[in-house]
Amino acid sequence: MTHAVKYHPGIPLLEQYVEGTLEADVALAVSAHIDLCPHCQQLCLDLSAEQGLMLEKSAPAAELDATDLDQMLADIMAQPQWNGRELNTQPQGPVQVQLKDKTFTVPRALARLVEQQTKWTQLGSIANAKLPAGDKRHVSLLYIDKDTAIPQHTHKGLEITLVLSGRIVDEKGSYGVGDILINTPDDTHTPRTLPDEDCLCLSVLSAPLQFNKGITRLLNPLQHLFY
Amino acid sequence: NAPEIRTGQWEDALSFVAVHQDKAAYSELFSYFAPRLKAFGMKMFGNEQQALEMVQDTMLNVWRKARLFDPSRGCASTWIFTIARNVRFDMLRKKQSRKDDISADDLWYDGNYPEQEDSGSHQWDTVLMTEKLAPHFDRLPEAQRLVMVKVYLEEKSHQEVSDELAIPLGTVKSRIRLALDRLREALDDTRS
Ligand SMILES: [Zn+2]
Ligand SMILES: [Zn+2]
Repeated sequence: MTHAVKYHPGIPLLEQYVEGTLEADVALAVSAHIDLCPHCQQLCLDLSAEQGLMLEKSAPAAELDATDLDQMLADIMAQPQWNGRELNTQPQGPVQVQLKDKTFTVPRALARLVEQQTKWTQLGSIANAKLPAGDKRHVSLLYIDKDTAIPQHTHKGLEITLVLSGRIVDEKGSYGVGDILINTPDDTHTPRTLPDEDCLCLSVLSAPLQFNKGITRLLNPLQHLFY
Repeated sequence: NAPEIRTGQWEDALSFVAVHQDKAAYSELFSYFAPRLKAFGMKMFGNEQQALEMVQDTMLNVWRKARLFDPSRGCASTWIFTIARNVRFDMLRKKQSRKDDISADDLWYDGNYPEQEDSGSHQWDTVLMTEKLAPHFDRLPEAQRLVMVKVYLEEKSHQEVSDELAIPLGTVKSRIRLALDRLREALDDTRS
């Protein structure tokens, strides 16, 4: 997987991600992108270094109770340091996810959530597994078989799509592994897969999609597939 | 292209804490960073009790996890900042009583991604001077703009800029990377 990622979250989003002020479900998509993108890995290291420097150069709190702090210091140093096992609490690497006879690799950031639950709902050539991210937005894995179009729709809220495997194209571009698409309210598009390549994405949606054309409007009540 | 190993007062103190559980070194770190973390916490929470809880958790992690600090990946202050950020994130999640969901451990990887080639920046020298870039150049954050002016307009070496501004060489390089990325993004926007 050495191809270059072309679509990145952009510096303002990375900055909020590094500061920890980005909403959790959006931050999850950004984090999974970073797992797949060496360019943004470096930028995040640089942005963290800037934040660290700001902390180091910042002024100490004006009101400080010295006895409080002395007590805190003593309490901390009375605790044992952690051993190797306790130190490794993080998901360390990518994990596999299974859909029928297919196996996909998903990035480290999603490892824990995917291992908790991947229950697929399938309709025709599209399948969806909601992740237990439990926030305002809906976070799910979205599988689209080859040669399939998602009917044209308008977004009522923010839609973030991160390609995890394969490729997806829409009116604005062609997106491969690691590419992140951010659609804001009132953007309209018709994403589809190529004739010979299916696609697995991470999808973060803040509101149901609104299908626009003819019979596909019947899909609007079937939102659980996309939402 | 070996990674720069940071050395300095705080990096050394952390390695003493990691290797010898050195209480004097830890006390120094604590008395410098705890009051600054408290100010940071007050800004983030607007509440003294929560700010202090964040300081306590952060500094406890610094003590317990000192062995995880890797001076080839960044400065001590960067490491301490990331711990405080994670503590704060998880505190806020807990307050909103969210269960089994996204945690700081999912969002911020505290390990090494495979080494990357340093992407060259030489192709920017001439482009930088063009009129198209000038307005974006002026909109760079001040710290980045200053480094860019010295490197690209005054043609100083990274080392000279590091000496002149009294900032680590790694900071000069990272500010250049951040500034170049901002400019690249600005150019992409004007193109489309
Ligand atoms: Zn990227
Ligand atoms: Zn869409």
